[in-house]
Amino acid sequence: MFRTITALAGVSFMAFAPMSVIAEPVNVADFALAPRIAEKVASGEPLNIMVSYHDVSNEFAPFVRQGVERADAELNANARFIGPVGADADGQISEIETLMAEIDGLAISAVSTDALSPLIDRVIDAGIPVISYNTDNPDSKRLVFAGQDLVQSGRDAGEQMVNVLDGKGRVMITTIDAAAQWSLDREGGAREVLEASEGIEVVRTLNTGTDPQEIYSAIENAMLADPEITGILSLECCSTPAAGEWVKRNGQSGTIKVVGFDLLDQTVDLVIAKAVQVTIDQAPSRQGFEAVSLLVQFLNGETIDDLDTGVGIFTSENIDSAM
Amino acid sequence: MSRPSLWSRIAGRKELGVFLALVVMCVFLSFSTSSFLSSINLLNVGRQVSLLGIMAVGMTFVLISGEIDLSVGSTYALSGLGSGMLIVMGWGLVPALMAGLMLGASIGLINGLLSTYGRLPSLIATLGMLSIVRGVALLMTDGQPVTVNTRNGALPQVLEKFEFMGQGYLFGLVPMQLVFFAAVALLGWLVLSGTAFGFRVFAVGGSAKAARVSGIHAESVKIWTFVIMGLLAALAGILSMAFLPSGQAGRTGLGLELDVIAAVVVGGASLSGGVGTVLGTVLGVLIIGVLRNGLVLQGVSPFTQEVMIGLVIIIAVAIDKWSTRSRTT
Repeated sequence: MFRTITALAGVSFMAFAPMSVIAEPVNVADFALAPRIAEKVASGEPLNIMVSYHDVSNEFAPFVRQGVERADAELNANARFIGPVGADADGQISEIETLMAEIDGLAISAVSTDALSPLIDRVIDAGIPVISYNTDNPDSKRLVFAGQDLVQSGRDAGEQMVNVLDGKGRVMITTIDAAAQWSLDREGGAREVLEASEGIEVVRTLNTGTDPQEIYSAIENAMLADPEITGILSLECCSTPAAGEWVKRNGQSGTIKVVGFDLLDQTVDLVIAKAVQVTIDQAPSRQGFEAVSLLVQFLNGETIDDLDTGVGIFTSENIDSAM
Repeated sequence: MSRPSLWSRIAGRKELGVFLALVVMCVFLSFSTSSFLSSINLLNVGRQVSLLGIMAVGMTFVLISGEIDLSVGSTYALSGLGSGMLIVMGWGLVPALMAGLMLGASIGLINGLLSTYGRLPSLIATLGMLSIVRGVALLMTDGQPVTVNTRNGALPQVLEKFEFMGQGYLFGLVPMQLVFFAAVALLGWLVLSGTAFGFRVFAVGGSAKAARVSGIHAESVKIWTFVIMGLLAALAGILSMAFLPSGQAGRTGLGLELDVIAAVVVGGASLSGGVGTVLGTVLGVLIIGVLRNGLVLQGVSPFTQEVMIGLVIIIAVAIDKWSTRSRTT
């Protein structure tokens, strides 16, 4: 049911266990495609594929956009990266509604799974194929999902933390938005693994806020409040470098272990400096490319299925391959 | 006529209510957490509130003059990222800093012109600028994080000095950000309470018409308060960049304008103009900083923290208003 993307050179990419909600393989023959799109496919015209991302101003977005732009250049499609500035569900819905008449295929990473599901269903009902990527909408009528299973990536991060702590220590989890669904999913996965390890105690989840100064200050305060913490597990891109920076500035590199996500410049530097032990890449560019590719394949009659874009595990041993 | 006693002078201070609120919070945290009163934590709090404080001093000028500036979070982001990008491009420290500061001052100038000669309410003019400036920051960086390091092109000697501004310690003890905050607060207090310009800011905020009748050029006073605000927002943004040393246009300073306005209002400034002090603002900034610090030290759940911050802002302003009323009746 799941296919795994091939690995980058020197990077271990892991396939996920199947997700809790898995789409069946689908073919356009079983889909009530809008006549205008069917005509376009038949004439061989380039297809308008819109890739809507939940916040085009966040750190992840430029990498997803790169993948979409690559697909635009390599596939027979006018692929366009769209989405709201700031995680704004209303903005994402309005934009898609406005563009609906010219969309031949939609890939969506939703701000809110609940808020966007009715829209996804409406787009599908209008005969336009929709897939989800990056963040899934399993309760909607979306055809398939391409991306990383958030719960599983949390489990992966938890396992990495257990490994670097040799199964013993006090762990603080950090997140820039503790209430967001992606954060809750990842935290759930991480806690599941950490709490199953006898020697590990999860002391708290720290909600850092999103501003970089705020993030650093929150970590600084929390570390002072509990000097016994030996591990910091960041659930996303942005508290990972802040945690590593705090560890480095306080001379705790190697003593307090940091496991986090993504390959921001600063995170790469901190992995090299061994202030961050492990960072997990979500292959965002690949997610953008595959989102377009799946829709083009589907519209051209190929059967498509859920696609696991995998995770890249980076340590000081293999971080060179990310530069 | 006898001079008022020390006690009656203290009791008559506008800032007494907010000062008492701060004392109550500090006493409570001293007993409820073991680390609140440690020198490390107090210096941390000082550093953590510094950037908010620098901007809040600027906002004190703007609010007293009867205006408001919602674009400060975006100005903070654009100026900091701008200076950071120039350093990564190989610029020297002084030109990069000057460019960032001039950017902030220019945004302040535009805000001032729109709000005076443009006849737009400052709430609307600066709301528009909030969006424009954030958009420019996103366009300028293409949404990518800006990290100031030698790998990206910063000259080592420039980077060292830049990082000292944000991460260094004066005499190995006092965080540089706190030094900047103290200097800005002192200068702000001197200008506001001891110069003709400060007098004019109060006069314009109290009644622009009366100020004009007295020969004060209200428009130019207001424009200058916006320029000061822009300059200080830029300084804070540059110091933030020097501290981290990384930023991202989509997140840096997002929503910061509300914290800045809250701190100044908690410190006793009036949103309708003519009222406020730099000392009150410093106390307001400290209340917000101590509160954030204390909630994390106590391990309060992140969701409860949001409720607590809102409650304390309301209670602190209420104490201030009640104490002001009881002193004037």
